[in-house]
Amino acid sequence: MRLVPVVFSLLFSAVSSGANAEGMIVLAAASLKDALDEAVRTFDANTGQNTKVSYGASSALARQIERGAPADLFLSADVEWMDYLAGRKLIRTETRVDLLTNRLVLISPAASNVTMQIAPGFPLAAALGNGRLAMADPDYVPAGKYGRAALQSMGVWTSVSTKIAPSEDVRAALRLVARGETPLGIVYRTDALAERKVRIVAEFPATSHPLIVYPAAVTAVSKSAAASRLLDFLRSPAARAIWIRHGFGRAN
Amino acid sequence: MFPTLEELQILGLSLKVALWSVLVSLPLAVAVAYSLARVNFPGKTLFDAAVHLPLVLPPVVVGYFLLLTFGRRGPVGILLEEWFGIVVMFKWTGAAIAAGVMGFPLMVRAVRLSFEAIDRKLEDAASTLGAGPLAVFATVTLPLALPGVLTGMLLSFARGLGEFGATITFVSNIPGETRTLPLAIYTYTQVPGGDESALRLSLLAVVLSLAALFVSEVMVRRATRRIMGDDADGRH
Repeated sequence: MRLVPVVFSLLFSAVSSGANAEGMIVLAAASLKDALDEAVRTFDANTGQNTKVSYGASSALARQIERGAPADLFLSADVEWMDYLAGRKLIRTETRVDLLTNRLVLISPAASNVTMQIAPGFPLAAALGNGRLAMADPDYVPAGKYGRAALQSMGVWTSVSTKIAPSEDVRAALRLVARGETPLGIVYRTDALAERKVRIVAEFPATSHPLIVYPAAVTAVSKSAAASRLLDFLRSPAARAIWIRHGFGRAN
Repeated sequence: MFPTLEELQILGLSLKVALWSVLVSLPLAVAVAYSLARVNFPGKTLFDAAVHLPLVLPPVVVGYFLLLTFGRRGPVGILLEEWFGIVVMFKWTGAAIAAGVMGFPLMVRAVRLSFEAIDRKLEDAASTLGAGPLAVFATVTLPLALPGVLTGMLLSFARGLGEFGATITFVSNIPGETRTLPLAIYTYTQVPGGDESALRLSLLAVVLSLAALFVSEVMVRRATRRIMGDDADGRH
């Protein structure tokens, strides 16, 4: 019967931490993981905040906000999903800023010695053979949408569209390549730099896809005053050093 | 409100995955259930726990273990590819493996219970009349356990149809290959304007589940009546 108090205290602790959840909640694109973790740690250490970050595909996060997730700040990997929320008045448009830029790369497992130049009609399908091309789902995940646009502009999309392994976010695609389950994959440059088990085969020309911009905004439901302070911090020189170290570019 | 061709293909794929998972795991589940119900061996408790693991583990964990085992670089994955040229990664066969593993404990439980409920005297009678152990099993034990086997098959089938976490972790979400009903519903909820399709597929899932429950109920009743003979009808 000594279990009963334990169970009660568990229940109680869960309730209390939910009730005085003063820490704000940030929903951020999966590709921001390592850099944003570091930036938020610095912010929390300096301000005494307790910020929680939930990472996922920007699409999934936007849908969560649409359904009333108690988020304070949204960092999206593409403009479209931020526009989607803005159109539904779910973000404070006056707080919206373009925070970062990124690039798209073709990667392989680190042990692979494949070489390829990205040019119109480049032999991607042949390089895949019986394997698949890991990429975020081109139907809705930003990294996948950029990837499809890039492959389309190179004229190779139709030859590889049946060979892709679409994943729920870009980091899942990164993991597939890192584990050697697929011979090639398309991720952001920052993802490739964060994973030692993959190698960048080539970078897609910046003109082959829409500019990769990460917009950020405070949500309409946010009651946390710290949300805009965190957003300011993410644009400060201190945070910029972190972004650049992880391979992001500055949006202007 | 009628499902589109794409949605019907998703349904077809889900049925294929779930049916194969049931058919392939059935003999194994019967063997395991029989050994748990009738045989005492060292480490039985541990074995029993291991069989039930997929029931209590988070599906993502099961999917991750499957990926580590059956993946291109997993021990079993490497052997399958080298010996038989079989690759299950990103294939519907992989989805069937995930569904089968997740449904396995449910099947074993149901079959085991009906093995345990069988009157051993009937088997003894068959033996004294000259039937060998295999003949006893095939002509007495298994037919008597039929309601449990059917229930187990249905439970596992339903579990396979609903399987999400292990599947998406193990074989990803590939249209026409591993994008089964739950994965398709999830995908549609991610796409702007996908709500209608998501809702249609969800309703389809409800209809399918009800149909499966109904069919199994009828089959179990029939099997029970056949076993019990007149007793089931209340006559003597």
